[in-house]
Amino acid sequence: MADASTVQPSNTKQNARIIMREFDRRRFLAGAAGAGSMAAFWPRALLAQGTQPIKIGILIPLTGSTSQFGATMSAAAKIAVSNINAAGGVAGRLVEVLIEDDQSNPEAAVRAVRKLIDVDKVVSIGGSYASAVTSAIAPLCYESKTVLFTSSGADSITKTPHNGYVFRTSPTVTLQGTRVGQYALELGAKKMFFLGPQTPFAQSYIDIISKLFKDAGGFGQGLIYEDKRASYRTEVDQALRTNPDVVVLGGYVPDTSVVLKDLYRAGFGGKKIGYSFGVNQVLADGLPHEVSEGTASLVPSASEDSTAYKTLIGKMGRSALDSYSCQVYDHVVLTTLALAQAAAASPNGTVVRDAVRAISQDPKGEKVSDVAQGLKLIADKKPLNYDGPSGPLEFAANGDVEGVFFRYEQVQKGKMALLKVA
Amino acid sequence: MFTEFAQYVLNGLVLGALIALPALGLTLIFSVQGFVNFSVAAQMTVGAYAAWLAGAYLGWSSILMLLFAFLVPGMLGVAADRLALAPIRRQSGAHTALMLAVVSIALNLAIENALRFLFGSNLNSFDIPVERNLQIWGLSVGPQQLRNLVTALLIAVALAAFFSLTRWGKAMRAVADNTDLARLKGIEPRNLANLATFIGMGLAGIGGSLLAIDTSVDPSTGSRLILVIFSASVLGGLTSLYGAVLGALIIGVMGEVAMIAMPPVYQSLTAFLAILFILLVKPTGLLVGAEGVRK
Repeated sequence: MADASTVQPSNTKQNARIIMREFDRRRFLAGAAGAGSMAAFWPRALLAQGTQPIKIGILIPLTGSTSQFGATMSAAAKIAVSNINAAGGVAGRLVEVLIEDDQSNPEAAVRAVRKLIDVDKVVSIGGSYASAVTSAIAPLCYESKTVLFTSSGADSITKTPHNGYVFRTSPTVTLQGTRVGQYALELGAKKMFFLGPQTPFAQSYIDIISKLFKDAGGFGQGLIYEDKRASYRTEVDQALRTNPDVVVLGGYVPDTSVVLKDLYRAGFGGKKIGYSFGVNQVLADGLPHEVSEGTASLVPSASEDSTAYKTLIGKMGRSALDSYSCQVYDHVVLTTLALAQAAAASPNGTVVRDAVRAISQDPKGEKVSDVAQGLKLIADKKPLNYDGPSGPLEFAANGDVEGVFFRYEQVQKGKMALLKVA
Repeated sequence: MFTEFAQYVLNGLVLGALIALPALGLTLIFSVQGFVNFSVAAQMTVGAYAAWLAGAYLGWSSILMLLFAFLVPGMLGVAADRLALAPIRRQSGAHTALMLAVVSIALNLAIENALRFLFGSNLNSFDIPVERNLQIWGLSVGPQQLRNLVTALLIAVALAAFFSLTRWGKAMRAVADNTDLARLKGIEPRNLANLATFIGMGLAGIGGSLLAIDTSVDPSTGSRLILVIFSASVLGGLTSLYGAVLGALIIGVMGEVAMIAMPPVYQSLTAFLAILFILLVKPTGLLVGAEGVRK
């Protein structure tokens, strides 16, 4: 459902319902078609060419299994637009975001993206979250020369022939696996065992972390289990038979809680490290303290010490914000600054693609974290380097972001305690 | 190697005992009512939440906690049966049993989502300390899991006594055997149907609470197990209470032992294989006739 364009059609529908009582079916249909085309053409007819808003598509999970950050992502996108429009927009043109729900479902996502590209003619699409969704929509974007900004992790996404139209603002699975492995080694572990459910990343995690351990003179192994089970006693038995000194937990919250209990019962005294989707405050709240104590977690982090982050959480009236919503904010800002920089007569995806690096990673540019300030520098023809709430936003040649932050956290007496951000 | 095998068997028995109670509930309801009531899954979760409220909030003793976990889903089960299923049962036809099963799936979803609305999706743990495993003859087993095993066995024995010694129990077996004949002898099947639903859902509730003590409670605690519960019941013959217990233990042990040779990802496969095996080889189930078959 497109947020920005709902008002008029729903009025039309209401009118249509009244009309229906008075006229016959044929005349009603003709009337509705007429009203529909009026609704579609009226704003364009009224506004002079070139002053209509620039459209940016946002595709996020508002419903379904991956929807935990949907609401804050949507709020962040709206705040980005109001900041940009308050600063005068792009060369006098306002910016509009069209927010679509991917329903945590690749098929629904493809339909939504077709609409954004073919009907709304958006210049870029931001937000896309689940890797399955992003993999499905990426070809539609780069084939239609629409820029895709994504917060998905699967490595395969930037290996597509996207010709530079895909930018990823979240760490890849390889990078997350590597950081977890390096952290386990930092803690002095020699023998690693990975326990996780069947996901597209499980085997990659095992391979990546095991290789790190092997290179460091240690040893790594893993077991992929079936999730949603009542007991993992046998899986834990199998893991402990290899005498690991660190267990990496690759699961989500429900199965990770059972695995941790079974590890505790079996008397496992080694280190436990998980990912943010499995080891977090929800898990800590649901487990007795002695079971969760000391379990570490790596969370892709927003740039929490930055002015941009502090300004954004202030505007949203929150004490903290997840990295993914910060990324959605930056997707809208990057598109806008790129268009402003290019100053093209007709904004489109190619213009955005070619100008993103100029405004986000110019080493000679002035560091800015505020979009209004960025637009002003562009208007004054000065170079800039935008650092957003999600991070410094420097992109490698393949579109993957470089220099992302992780929060290293640990459960201490039932609370997630911050160890470091690095 | 032998110890490893024995350990897997033990793990399977502990898991099987947890599955046995809801499987008993499903079988009991099927015996008397003649349809598979899939809402046992959600009623397990109801029992788990009831026990959690009684234990973690009200600080009741474990006996009272289990009693509460029996009563709440039992009563809710009867109410849901009267409201949603009885009207369909009245219009008896060729597809009634199928329709009832479908409506019970809908009921399952409704109850599960009501729980989600009331308690949220987060995990809740019991205020019971998690104990380290005991080591017996080289095998390790948790004290809580032993208690669960004993509780499940005690309840199964009590149930067996109820069915062989009491008037109500015997009447229920009579209805399961032949509804028309029982009615001729002056037994009112409708009251028995309520009683069977009450006991069946209560058993599911206790099973759910034992499971939750072992793991944790969230709105899908019961639904995760519906496949294994259903296959345990089918394996046991759907009408035999002993069969349900046997089926649950077999499914539990098979699943764990299979991990010696099979990647753990395919563990649910054993439940599917059990259903497939029974349908192909012995469609009546392992122990049909021990209790009598519903005509």
